[in-house]
Amino acid sequence: MTLLELESVTASYGPVQVLDGVSLSVPEGGAVGILGANGAGKTTTLRSISGTVRAGGRILFEGKDIRGKRPEQVAALGIAHVPEGRGSFGALTVRENLRVGAYLRRDRKGIAADIEFLLDLFPNLKERYKSNASALSGGEQQMLAVGRAVMAKPRLLLLDEASLGLAPSTAKVVYDAIARLRRESGIAMLVVEQNANLAFRLVDSATVLETGRSVLSGTTAELKGMDEIRRAYLGG
Amino acid sequence: MSSITGFLSRAWVRWAITAVVAVALLVVPLLFSEYTNQNLARIGVFAVAVLGLNVVMGYTGQVSLGQIFFVGVGAYVTGYGATHDWNIVVVFLASVLVPGVIGLVVALAAARLGGLAIAMVTIALPIIGVPLAKRLSDFTGGSQGLSSAFSNAPDWTGLYNDQWQLYLVIVIGGATYLLTRNLVRGKYGRAFAIVKSNEAVAASMGISPYRYKVLAFTVASLIGGVSGFLYMAVIQFTSPETMTFSHSITLLASMVIGGAASIIGSLLGGAYYVLVPQWSNDINPNLTELLQGALLLLTLFLLPGGLVTLPREIARRLRRSRPDGGPERRQTPSAEPAPGREAVEETPTVGGIPTQRPTERQEQA
Amino acid sequence: MGQFIQLFVDGLSNGSIYAVLALAIVLVNQATGMINFAQGGMAVLSAYATWWLTEHGLPLVVAILVSILLSFVLGGLIERFVMRRFERGDPDTAVVVTIGLLTLITGICGWLWTYNNKQFPSLFSLKTVDIFGAAVSVRSIGTFLVIVAIMLLLQALFLGTKLGLALRAVAINPQSAAFSGLPVGRLLMAGWGLAAALGAVAGALVAPQLTLTPGMMDSALVYALAAVILGGLSSPIGVVVAAWLIGVLENLAAVYVHFIGYDLKVAVPFILIFVVLIVRPQGLFGRKVVVRV
Repeated sequence: MTLLELESVTASYGPVQVLDGVSLSVPEGGAVGILGANGAGKTTTLRSISGTVRAGGRILFEGKDIRGKRPEQVAALGIAHVPEGRGSFGALTVRENLRVGAYLRRDRKGIAADIEFLLDLFPNLKERYKSNASALSGGEQQMLAVGRAVMAKPRLLLLDEASLGLAPSTAKVVYDAIARLRRESGIAMLVVEQNANLAFRLVDSATVLETGRSVLSGTTAELKGMDEIRRAYLGG
Repeated sequence: MSSITGFLSRAWVRWAITAVVAVALLVVPLLFSEYTNQNLARIGVFAVAVLGLNVVMGYTGQVSLGQIFFVGVGAYVTGYGATHDWNIVVVFLASVLVPGVIGLVVALAAARLGGLAIAMVTIALPIIGVPLAKRLSDFTGGSQGLSSAFSNAPDWTGLYNDQWQLYLVIVIGGATYLLTRNLVRGKYGRAFAIVKSNEAVAASMGISPYRYKVLAFTVASLIGGVSGFLYMAVIQFTSPETMTFSHSITLLASMVIGGAASIIGSLLGGAYYVLVPQWSNDINPNLTELLQGALLLLTLFLLPGGLVTLPREIARRLRRSRPDGGPERRQTPSAEPAPGREAVEETPTVGGIPTQRPTERQEQA
Repeated sequence: MGQFIQLFVDGLSNGSIYAVLALAIVLVNQATGMINFAQGGMAVLSAYATWWLTEHGLPLVVAILVSILLSFVLGGLIERFVMRRFERGDPDTAVVVTIGLLTLITGICGWLWTYNNKQFPSLFSLKTVDIFGAAVSVRSIGTFLVIVAIMLLLQALFLGTKLGLALRAVAINPQSAAFSGLPVGRLLMAGWGLAAALGAVAGALVAPQLTLTPGMMDSALVYALAAVILGGLSSPIGVVVAAWLIGVLENLAAVYVHFIGYDLKVAVPFILIFVVLIVRPQGLFGRKVVVRV
């Protein structure tokens, strides 16, 4: 069953066309990667889904076109966007950040249980529970950003460059935790990642974007086998 | 359109226009009635005040609510000097330098705060200025004010007072305009513009935002002093009323409505300052402030560049609405740089609300 | 000694009014990054609304409550239909817009109710009580207590409620807030509305003292801005302490410093600012001002 389907999505910033026909689909509970060079339109694809960029084409979530909805409406549908750069609320504590994430929920017990789950998933956050987000390290902020998104109990997580600015070992820890999150929660994921090696730890399949267009897609195993993918994204 | 600008850019044409304007300025005071001359002179006085405000606000981007204070100080110094029979050159220099020094001291402190603090500090100048002027009655004549007829026409000229005063405004105001024009078009003007658009960039280029803000504010105060001198020359009377808070706001409105960062806009601003309150007082004095607020907001919404951009704006609208405008259509992107530039920038919005704030928040992201 | 205590308590009471207005300014600044110079003007409009309601037979307390509610709505509408257009742009333009608003609102008050002074009923008795030999007015004590109560309420709102948390989140990062489903637009309106409601309280407390005129709050605005500079934009507590300090110092200076006197006491906060700027450029309590990029 398909959860999210993009059909020839286009988008532009003013006169500059950034997306020129992106198509992909994410099955229920699946994890799909978006690979591509800088400026290929990866981030813009996520933004067009979460409603921060006006898009053309069709963006179907559970069969309904969600284009033109505002970001808070998209969030209410069950799509959580972990933006590039993490978007933490620096002056709020870790606890408050997670509470903001749960803004749309009313089930006190469920919220408490999810916070427990996240603190178990990211033990670092447990230690820094009462500190301001601005005092966290880059890796901890990334964990917090994912945690905040998960607190909304989404059906689909949009994950943008979670490894950005992290030491390779930290990035691995973060990705492994997200992979565990996926196994235990069953949340579907659409993952933008520059580093394909990392992405392949998490996703089942991926789409390659070039200048705003989907040019190639396949399962992780298929893509790993392709020479051009190895040369361009896997470092040999 | 382009043929006209091409025509205007030729050197001899510009000289010819300058000559025509100069001759017109020389002849005008002899032609009009006393009432018109007085009104023109007042417009000149406040056009200079608005010009000063434009240096700090329009060109350098620092909101100042204190410009009227410097006009008032200039007027008081002029009145004091004139009634004590100082040499007129000394009077003029003092009326410019005293506000300039006060402006320098205020700016040295206020510019340290950065951001909007200059607006927040300068709002106090007229509010403190009025009781201060009343208190220093030995110099200012207290609430009664200070009058001086030092600017009556000398006998040898054979001119009427209003003609002589208008000449004073044209010569001194004109010189101030030329000097300011050269300032803002030169090296300093470029530095001001960079400070206005991005302080961090300015600093990285070796342009100290602090120093240039202080400089702009001081220049504005000096020009305010010139305006004060001319005020005394034309109106021959000043009182604490000259520098009230509401006048300060009217001056700011005049600058915005005339056109920020524009020499011609400053002239239009002077005309606004003198003529619009006269006109609205004729309708209903209780409506003056309401009309002014409405006009200021309307300008900000519909014509952010002020009246000076009105012809350009009309031309743009006309071109856009022309149905057979195939070739013109293609020109529009270059004809309207502002929207084009905004569109290229990547500004994600959240339900129409900007998500990028010019504050430290971005760094926390 | 008696005179000193009296001046001190009256100063705290005046300072409390500056504090409310300053808090409103900080609230708007936190939510939208701008300084609202119309905050005082909006408070005057609220005071006129209260006055009009009492003239039409409503009891004072009810009139104040209704006016607070109306101000909340008006503040939200102003954010939505006037300010929102300018929130993304240059902060200096936004300041000029608020100055335009100030002029317009003052003008509306003057047009509807003329520029003549109006007597405004006092919420508190004008009697005095004896404290350590000083005759302190009930009004001063009452004003001070009302403000303290409001500050505690605000503190509870921001630290203890979901709405408060949401308001803070939107102020810090509106985009992330939207990604978590927060209704950003409505929260910004609520921020402006709360600020306007605070202003309404300030207006109702100050109007009996100054009598009601369209320009009544001009100098209160100046004091409030001074308190904001001294306290630092990031520190509500600092702003309140600064406002009290200003209120007390100006009252003492008016009596004990011959040159200043009552007419020039408005200069006191700015002399204070000059001194503080030389010692601590970031304000009394604030963090260092970050250069806008």
